[in-house]
Amino acid sequence: MSRLIGYWGRLCALFIISIMLILIGFILFKGLPTLELSLFFGDTAPLAAMMGLQPVWEGIWPACVGTLTVVLCAVSLASVPGIASGIWLASAPDKPAQKVFGLAVDILAGIPSILMGLFGFSLILLLRGSFFPQANASLLLASFCLALLILPYIACATQNALSSLPKQLSVTGAALGMTQWQVTYRLLLPQAKSGIMSGLMLAIGRAAEDTAVIMLTGAVANAGLPGGLLQRFEALPFTIFYYSAQYQSQQELNMAFGAALVLLILTSIIFALLAAIVRGRNRSKFGPVKSLIKERIC
Amino acid sequence: MQSHKLTLKQNSWMQALLMTLVVTSGLLLFAVFCFLIWFSLPVFFTETTSVFSLKWQPEQGHFGILAMVFGTLSLAFISTSVAFIIALGLNSFCLLSRRRWLVALLRSLLRFMAAIPTVVYGLAALFLLLPLLRNGLQLGSGYSLFAAVCMLILLILPVICVMLDNITTPLWQQYALGAQALGFSPEQTYMQVILPHCRVNIGGAALLGFNRAIGDTMLPLMLAGNATQLPSGVFDAIRSLTAHIALVIATDQGGEAYNSLFASGILLLMCSACICLLSRYLMGRHRLEQPE
Amino acid sequence: MMFKTCSVRLVAIFTLLVSSPLIADELSAFDKMNGQLNIAGGTAHIPVMKKAARQIMGHNPKIHITIAGGGSGVGVQQVAKGLVDIGNTGRALKNKEMNLGLNSFPFAIDGVAVIIHPQNPVDDLSQQQIIEIYQGKITNWRELGGQDRQIHLFSRDEASGTRSVFSKKLLKGAQLAANANIVPSNGAMKTAVSQDMGAIGYSSVGYIDNMVKAPRYNHIMPTQEACASGEYPVVRRLYMNTKGVPNALTQAFIDYIYSEQGAKHIQSSGYIALDAQP
Repeated sequence: MSRLIGYWGRLCALFIISIMLILIGFILFKGLPTLELSLFFGDTAPLAAMMGLQPVWEGIWPACVGTLTVVLCAVSLASVPGIASGIWLASAPDKPAQKVFGLAVDILAGIPSILMGLFGFSLILLLRGSFFPQANASLLLASFCLALLILPYIACATQNALSSLPKQLSVTGAALGMTQWQVTYRLLLPQAKSGIMSGLMLAIGRAAEDTAVIMLTGAVANAGLPGGLLQRFEALPFTIFYYSAQYQSQQELNMAFGAALVLLILTSIIFALLAAIVRGRNRSKFGPVKSLIKERIC
Repeated sequence: MQSHKLTLKQNSWMQALLMTLVVTSGLLLFAVFCFLIWFSLPVFFTETTSVFSLKWQPEQGHFGILAMVFGTLSLAFISTSVAFIIALGLNSFCLLSRRRWLVALLRSLLRFMAAIPTVVYGLAALFLLLPLLRNGLQLGSGYSLFAAVCMLILLILPVICVMLDNITTPLWQQYALGAQALGFSPEQTYMQVILPHCRVNIGGAALLGFNRAIGDTMLPLMLAGNATQLPSGVFDAIRSLTAHIALVIATDQGGEAYNSLFASGILLLMCSACICLLSRYLMGRHRLEQPE
Repeated sequence: MMFKTCSVRLVAIFTLLVSSPLIADELSAFDKMNGQLNIAGGTAHIPVMKKAARQIMGHNPKIHITIAGGGSGVGVQQVAKGLVDIGNTGRALKNKEMNLGLNSFPFAIDGVAVIIHPQNPVDDLSQQQIIEIYQGKITNWRELGGQDRQIHLFSRDEASGTRSVFSKKLLKGAQLAANANIVPSNGAMKTAVSQDMGAIGYSSVGYIDNMVKAPRYNHIMPTQEACASGEYPVVRRLYMNTKGVPNALTQAFIDYIYSEQGAKHIQSSGYIALDAQP
């Protein structure tokens, strides 16, 4: 009877490997032929388009720039508060305040992303009704909501990284007369650097691929290069969603596949960087390996 | 092992800065909950109890979201159950197989699967799975519960697998040799020693997969057809709560449809929060940690 | 021979010289402007808006125009709240929407027609048949003289102006079956129907091309000419709506749509242009 698990295991492994080969192979098959300059720039001259001198139609360059911009803004908004929260959570994990905060961060790590979009939507409504009548769906709002979405990941990664450091470090620091902040900044954070970096990488990956949040807070199908923080923008995941549902010509379908391939390459690069960081950390660490995963980090 | 209670000298302004940042983040996170609850209060406090009915016909004045609740739950239950069984199989393969290179490949593949964007899964399914269902197997229009479930399984598989890996690998290292000495075969060790030992933690892992399945928007939106009906079979179209929010976000404020939006939101939030709490309880934060 | 090509070239250059001021005239209104123009709403309008935006932004890169879809409901909601400058609708504004202080600018005539897969042999559908299909009473193409195939219903989301025109004028308020697949735009409807042999849906007449087939409605072929002449009954106007008096850039855009160039864009998108209302 227990032998069945052996067969089942082999069957599952075979199944998963073949399905993923088919899926990735399909995206490559459909996407690779579209990878040329006209995918990115349509019929506008590349140099003029990249410098923003001429708008790009029928090309995914604005979406690429839009995605990079919104991810950069979101990570810069979330990184410092996230790391700070992680430090605080790791400093005294058993106090009631830390427990409540940790709980909130945990719940927010798991909520459906569309609820964050709904939050952004209701935020616009509230702001318009009260003290900021110019509030609108925009790059700023989308980065803000994305930052809230990825904050739990950074906080949890920092907390895990700091808690898994040996206690001797803080003790030695205290014995040498260092203050709390000096111990954290000069002893603990450098040691936990790779854990925090992996958390940031995870956050970047999540921000790049999320569609539901930006769909409701500022991504549109046609906007050109991001014109500013208070304007709407294009983004790769939204472009894929839009053109896959309503392509009117082969060229638009090619854009969808090309954008999917570009996004896949982007997230693969982030994944490879993350894997390299984790490998480097495992090599230098002595002790049990705690691998960092995407969804459940706390 | 004693726990050290260190009282270090405080560097006041750095601590203050740290606390400011933490409090800001805390307030913002709290605000997310508050907003959703505030905007969904009208649902419960006005005359209209029609949000909790089975019919969604806005032209005739019916705004019931129960069909969408059923859609979300059926999607999540079916995909989590199947993904869980597959994850157990994959986990046993990783522990039992002699071909370590294949196991390493599989582990990297699973982590890579977690990094693939959801829209890419949706796109591939739109052009591979749906024509198969529609033209090859002649099972309806292709947009169905089945298509969404298939891709959701692929989406939550890495989540459950990696968690199972984290749970069972240290246990295997602890018990395998001893069990073998007692005469258990590796498969028997896995089924009768390891799994029963950590079944509560495994339950927590499955709950996390369930949480992810409830919360996904793009796959149901792209693949499940968005019909507002109770499915009579796996090949019928359904609408999930998340897709409902994405589709209806356009309507008038204060109207019934708008209320249904926030009702869906609060249901999702409650469900997700409860599952998260339950999973945390089951996983018991440091229960299975190895001794330092 | 040489003389002929020379003279052809001269005529061409002459026409270009004469007409370019005309073309430039309509765009020259945008010369000194800059800023952003946000447009959202009906998906039927998107091809026209995109073409106009392309010309304007090509002429003056300081102007930034963003176009979103979402359906007529989105258009009304967002323009009433001031979130966009122009909200497009594919239906006339309701009374309570008029009370929000919106101005309507109808700029094209369009129709809403039933569409099916190009290889579907059914050529003619009566109104009663369409009503029964959408109520779920007829479920197989066999009953309509077609192949033995399940009918797959496709409909639009609630915010859609196309849906409300279809529901009021064609279905006469009949209740839609609950098992209809919902798609979010005209383009998505066309894509979905063109992929499925058993599908039936409805879309703007301007969107119909050889990806889909429009069967006759009560023996009338739904074309733009039939819509303009009144022969095809399920017609509607495409409106641009603004809140109050439009600002300079918005007014310039609206004038551009009403101009000759705008009319060309409208016609090439498959609609019939209307003149500006006095």
